[in-house]
Amino acid sequence: MPVEQMKENGVSVLNVQGSLGSDETQELEDAVLGLLENGETRLVFDFSELDYINSSGLRVLVLAYQRLKKASGTVAICGVKDYIREIFEVSGYDKIFSMYPDRGQALEEL
Amino acid sequence: MTYHSTTFRMTNKQKCFQIFRPQVEEFGQRYGLSQKQVFNLTLVIDELITNILSYGYTDLEEHFIEVTLGIDGDRLIIEIRDDAEPFNILEAPEPELDLPVEERVRPVGGMGVHIVKKLMNCIEYRREDGRNVLRLEKDINDECPCGC
Repeated sequence: MPVEQMKENGVSVLNVQGSLGSDETQELEDAVLGLLENGETRLVFDFSELDYINSSGLRVLVLAYQRLKKASGTVAICGVKDYIREIFEVSGYDKIFSMYPDRGQALEEL
Repeated sequence: MTYHSTTFRMTNKQKCFQIFRPQVEEFGQRYGLSQKQVFNLTLVIDELITNILSYGYTDLEEHFIEVTLGIDGDRLIIEIRDDAEPFNILEAPEPELDLPVEERVRPVGGMGVHIVKKLMNCIEYRREDGRNVLRLEKDINDECPCGC
């Protein structure tokens, strides 16, 4: 699961590729915690190249949400494939994260 | 209807995801399942096996986990047999979805089981000869095959 990090328009973008399951969650969690420690308050998870996620992966997103909510920050998710989107809906997480079709729209809104 | 199935085994000492994911993909390809159906089957098995590995064993011994994938007309069937501690997912507490995440006692706890229950239509659990036997069914057309 390569995680590409970049900053666009003052927003930190994490481009997560491949699979985000139990074996890969720690790497993403470390990347997120590193950004939060650096004082980043606006995060976008770009999932356009993500083909798998489980509840461990979702847990990292919730962790980011909880931390940033306290710091008046925001978390957005973009590019989620249709077949993965249902998991956000059944878990209710589609209601806590702002979700956008692509990175461009996410960056415009944040 | 003809029932087709495939069974594979793994142990708690192996990297289970890397064993069952290709098996589910091959099963999906053989029976013409959609990308979403393959993803959902993989996710359901992943969540259940992760639970078994995380909470099921009180010793350090090697234990077998057996998974059967079946297709019977429009019904997809998963059966998992393991000798872990008794665990009936039907009795597992639901996540507190009605509360905002920050007010939940367990913000993400129980989400894996919740996802499994949402993605599958019919779930049966029994304890048999010291093993958990969990059978889950899903109608390909999203209709509940057992009328539950």
